[in-house]
Amino acid sequence: MMKNEKPLLDWPAAGVTRAPYKVMSDPQIYAWEQQNIFRGPVWNYLCLEAEIPEPGSYRTTHIGDTPVIVVRDKEGGIQAMVNRCSHKGALLCVEAGGKRQAFTCLYHGWAYDLHGKLLGVPFQHGIGGHGGMPADFDLCQHNLEHIRAESFQGLVFGTFSTAAEPLETYLGPSMAAHLRRVFHKPVQVLGYHHQVLHNNWKLYMENSRDPYHATILHTFYATFKLNRLTMDGGVTIDHEGWHSMNFSKGATLREGNYEGTGIRSVLEDVGLADPSLLERRQEFHDGITVAVQSIFPTCVNQQIYNTLALRQLVPQGPGRAELHWTFFGYTDDDPDLRQMRLTQSNLIGPAGYVSIDDGVIGEYVQRGIAGSGMESSAVMEMGGHEIASTTGSRATEAPLRGFWSGYRSLMGL
Amino acid sequence: MTVMHDERLRRQIEALHTRYIHAIDDDRLEDWPALFTETCLYKIITRENFDQGLPLAVMECRSRGMMLDRVTGLRRINVFEPQRYLHQISGLTLDPIDDHRVNCRSNYLVVRTMADGTMTLFSAGVYLDKVILDDEGAKFEERIVVADSRRIETLLVIPL
Repeated sequence: MMKNEKPLLDWPAAGVTRAPYKVMSDPQIYAWEQQNIFRGPVWNYLCLEAEIPEPGSYRTTHIGDTPVIVVRDKEGGIQAMVNRCSHKGALLCVEAGGKRQAFTCLYHGWAYDLHGKLLGVPFQHGIGGHGGMPADFDLCQHNLEHIRAESFQGLVFGTFSTAAEPLETYLGPSMAAHLRRVFHKPVQVLGYHHQVLHNNWKLYMENSRDPYHATILHTFYATFKLNRLTMDGGVTIDHEGWHSMNFSKGATLREGNYEGTGIRSVLEDVGLADPSLLERRQEFHDGITVAVQSIFPTCVNQQIYNTLALRQLVPQGPGRAELHWTFFGYTDDDPDLRQMRLTQSNLIGPAGYVSIDDGVIGEYVQRGIAGSGMESSAVMEMGGHEIASTTGSRATEAPLRGFWSGYRSLMGL
Repeated sequence: MTVMHDERLRRQIEALHTRYIHAIDDDRLEDWPALFTETCLYKIITRENFDQGLPLAVMECRSRGMMLDRVTGLRRINVFEPQRYLHQISGLTLDPIDDHRVNCRSNYLVVRTMADGTMTLFSAGVYLDKVILDDEGAKFEERIVVADSRRIETLLVIPL
């Protein structure tokens, strides 16, 4: 299935203000995405350099459906390769991470170095002159499938595409600048969350870049004035909409506009018995207190007050995806700040006061669109029809239109 | 410690465990924080993080107030599909610290049932408890829930 075949569907004439429901559930579309997006000219977040500090340190992850190993080589460089023995296709590494001198397959013992080069196969020359590989068997033809890896500010990304532009160009100037802001000093991983979402991967990626829902669905945000549209903030778009960031500045809150509107998200009679949950520190000089950055296709970099986390979404079929959260601080955090991050971590993850709601909302959409016909589409006209950065107002769906613009160009739809 | 004393202690702690699981399973979550001391620790952490010494928890309450706030979150703030739990607990062991405090360990299974009838084995793991005994009876000073699976299906909103 390649782009030049007849498209699997006709995109609505209204363009990126519409997304046909069919793209959320169709197995053929899903298979096409694997080829044209995840094996296409995109950079996929793989891990943090901090997770693979020493030669031989590795992590396992996925690019789309494909299992991947990321490893620090003996020269200190970063290598990425498909986690699949070239012989019979078995996984080489089953753990989330660890340290190896070489990758040796359990099945028949084929061994690869940290660059994925096949070092040897047991009984290559047979036993006593009998059996073994043919004389023309060439080890060099059976290395692990290579993945281009590049690191930016300690974040490791990979691509299958030789045509993908360099990582920093792919990110674009504003996304790169925001990553420089967050990853400005060494980070330390404080733990992981893993969350299964029973919805198409794109529904979560839309959600993560949607400033319209954030203060309506997420009652905790609006009620405790952590994030409202009546704060200074904005939406930054990069790479023609492929990537985006929504941000707000907590100290600029203007009262009003929510109260008395009947918006479910402002509960005037709810308080916290222990407000120490919300003890926080301004650790960035730009005043931004909530920033959710979405790098196409499936990476999210979030700052919600003092919680810092990377989220990587791995699609697992049309109706399922697994969200991997890597929660981090800085190596030089003082004990108070470290405790604040951990206490505030109650806001995020699968049990987070803010993010609980996102766990189920995509599933409600997935179930809601079941049985929809070819003509049914989601509508995204908030803020007009454009894909552009805005400052001041976040009452917009521009970042979603940007996502669909990137999606359509890669899928040929 | 005498055999009689040991049996009495075990009964008190089993009674605390029973009150705990019934409060949650019967949706009397408002009664749940009262099983803890005012300054307490209630934490759900995955085995993945726990074994690596990584501090991130799925849920972490550092006071009874924070536990009450979790109940408020569930009742008033968060969006989730109606669901209930059924706990099974077993394998209680006691390791007394002094006359008033005991370290306990037990296994738990939680079956989650959704409104449409879908039942799943939602979580399995161990409770690592510090229980304090005084004139008012037994209370949790600390309950660390170590969940065997690193993965949570959809969301976790009711405490384990």
